[in-house]
Amino acid sequence: MSISEYVGVMARASTTSDVFNAVADVHRRQILDVLITGERAVGAIVDELSLSQPQVSKHLRVLSEVGLVSNRAEGRRRLYRLQPEQLAPLHDWVTTYERAISDRMDRMDDYLTDLQRQGDGSDA
Amino acid sequence: MTRDRHGSAVIEYPSALEILTTREFDAPIGLVFDVLTKPEHVRHWFAPFEDTMTVCSIDLRVGGKYHMVFVTSDGTECSFRGTYLEIEAPTRIVDTWLFEGWPGADAVETVELQESGGVTKVTMNLAFRDQAGRDHMTRTDGQEDSWDKMEDYLGSLVDASRPIG
Repeated sequence: MSISEYVGVMARASTTSDVFNAVADVHRRQILDVLITGERAVGAIVDELSLSQPQVSKHLRVLSEVGLVSNRAEGRRRLYRLQPEQLAPLHDWVTTYERAISDRMDRMDDYLTDLQRQGDGSDA
Repeated sequence: MTRDRHGSAVIEYPSALEILTTREFDAPIGLVFDVLTKPEHVRHWFAPFEDTMTVCSIDLRVGGKYHMVFVTSDGTECSFRGTYLEIEAPTRIVDTWLFEGWPGADAVETVELQESGGVTKVTMNLAFRDQAGRDHMTRTDGQEDSWDKMEDYLGSLVDASRPIG
C-alpha cells in the first residue's frame, strides 16, 4: 500500500468523520436499518423503533446533513430514503485502514525477527 | 524455521464501532510487550517509513500519555495520542486512542497478549465511543474535562458489555 493512499484517506478524514459521527449513534443506526428496507415516513419510523417523534426527527436531520438520507414530499407526508453511496467513503477508509494495520504488523514482525537475530532476547 | 507471517493480520468488526486485529508473532511475550510499548522499539515499526517518525513519546503508566507523530513524503503530519487506562505487563494494555486528523472519532484501545510455545498472539480492539455515550459523558462531566472521570467512564465501557446495535 502506498503512503499517498494512506494519506489520501486521512486527508479526507474530516468528511469521513462527519459520516462516521452520524453512524456512531445506536439510534441513527437503527433508523438506517429501517430505511434499508425502503422509504418511510417519520411516523412509520417512530412506530417501528419506539423512539419519540422529536428524537426521530432530530436523528433524520443529522443523517440528512451528511447525505445519508434524502427525502421527498408525497402529499402531506415526507418520505425518507437511504442514500447508501454516502457510506462509500467510510468503506474506503475501512479498507485502507485494514491495509495500514496489516502492513504495520508486518513491520513489527520484521523488527522482532531482527531483534531476536541480534540476540537481544526478552526483557531488554 | 519460522513461517512467513506477512499479511497474516486478521481484522474483524465485532460491532459497528469496533475494529479487532489479531496477529501472531514468533517471539516471546515479554519481548513483544516491550516492542509494543518502548519508544526505542516503536520507532522502528509504527510509521510506514521508519525514518519519518518525528514524535514517539510513551509514558507507560496508568494515567500516562503517549503521542506518536509521523510525517508522510508530501509533508502531512499524522498524529496519534492517548492516555493509558490499564497496564498489566506483559498481557494487557488499555488506552484511549485518538487520531488527531479525525477529531470526532476517539476510541478505547485494548491490547492483549498471550504466548503459547514461543508464539505470541496479540489482539488489539479499537472501540469507538458511541455518540450517545459521548453526549452522556459531556452532560455528567460538569465543569472541565477531568481525566479521572474520563478514566472511570472509559473503564466502564471497557468492562461492561456495550449495547451497540
